[in-house]
Amino acid sequence: MNEARSEPPVELPQGLDQAFGAVAGELGMASAAWLFVRAVARCTGDPGVAALAEGAGADFPVLDAVARGWLGGLREPSLDPRPALEAVGKATRLVVVGVEASYLDALVQQLDPAVKVAMVAHSQFPVDWDRALDNYGGRVERVDLDTFQNWAGGKSALLTFAYGREDSRTAVAPLWLRACGADVRAQFRALVAWNVLEAPLQLYPRWLVEVEADTFTHFVP
Amino acid sequence: MPPPHRNAPSAAFIDRSRVDALLAGAVPDDEDRAFVVRCILGEGPAHHRGANYVLLRLLGMIVDRLGGADMEAVRVGGTMPVPMKVPPHLEREGSMMAYPLGLPTGPLDELAPAGSTDQAAMVQCLSDGPPQHALANAAMIWLIGAALERLDGRASDSARPSTRSRKRASPPPKQ
Repeated sequence: MNEARSEPPVELPQGLDQAFGAVAGELGMASAAWLFVRAVARCTGDPGVAALAEGAGADFPVLDAVARGWLGGLREPSLDPRPALEAVGKATRLVVVGVEASYLDALVQQLDPAVKVAMVAHSQFPVDWDRALDNYGGRVERVDLDTFQNWAGGKSALLTFAYGREDSRTAVAPLWLRACGADVRAQFRALVAWNVLEAPLQLYPRWLVEVEADTFTHFVP
Repeated sequence: MPPPHRNAPSAAFIDRSRVDALLAGAVPDDEDRAFVVRCILGEGPAHHRGANYVLLRLLGMIVDRLGGADMEAVRVGGTMPVPMKVPPHLEREGSMMAYPLGLPTGPLDELAPAGSTDQAAMVQCLSDGPPQHALANAAMIWLIGAALERLDGRASDSARPSTRSRKRASPPPKQ
């Protein structure tokens, strides 16, 4: 009878969670999670990804979700911007609330050049906003939480990123609630959430806040 | 200060598609109209949203029973923008930052001459306040304007003297 051999535990470098926090600020938690999961998988395979989820998942539930998705066979994020572009519709001004670099890159590439784009420069993580926005070569302008209403109008849209959905609930960056109050809701024609996770979060949504998905005019699954 | 509502009213009876259909002639673009309808029926306190719905539906029924709305005829009478209430220091220079539904002024000509101080004050009263008020007011004036147009048409067809003055108030002389 063969004795079952247990795999030796994978030892990941110390400080990966701290590194993730630094990267998540400028890339966004889902974009950073894919970067980390791919790198860990390349070096240590699936056991390393499982160790990453065990070690840093509780602090970063989006990383946990992406790692568990990887272990479940999901090897690529869904970056197709077309449903999000459809939700933005004929808006001529788009204000992005929250950071997800991989998704925003895809969106901006296919967005009509006539549409002006801005990002609200506010994050729970330290971010060098000049460096982050320089990646867009002037295509994405910087606005602040107290001035972004300057972009309001009948042809303006707000877009944020959602992290999974379970029934009527989804999770978004708390910045969304700071930005999208009762006044702002009536100043932007579309309030778009672009869901960047295939499955709902399994852990407490640390760094995020739960909201009803139907508070958006468009929820891009 | 008014007492608080004992029980918040329900606005579950609201069917946005009904008001969307009513405003199709006033705001032809689907996305523009969805924004306007959301502001009228989807934002703000339930009693405002519910009241907006009831009044617009009833006005829509009046217009239907008079033969339907000819919104182009109302538009010809002129419209004024319904501005967004962004903080003044955040207004974009050179932009109205207005909603896609304007306030028709033709029906107001019945009450005060175009260009008069009184009509300007009426426009201000109707378009002031939060969007669920200002846009509902504008939507109602569209429907009232459509009803008045139908009544004018009936009066002309029957060649009977109308109970309503057919003569629009004339604008004041230009200075």
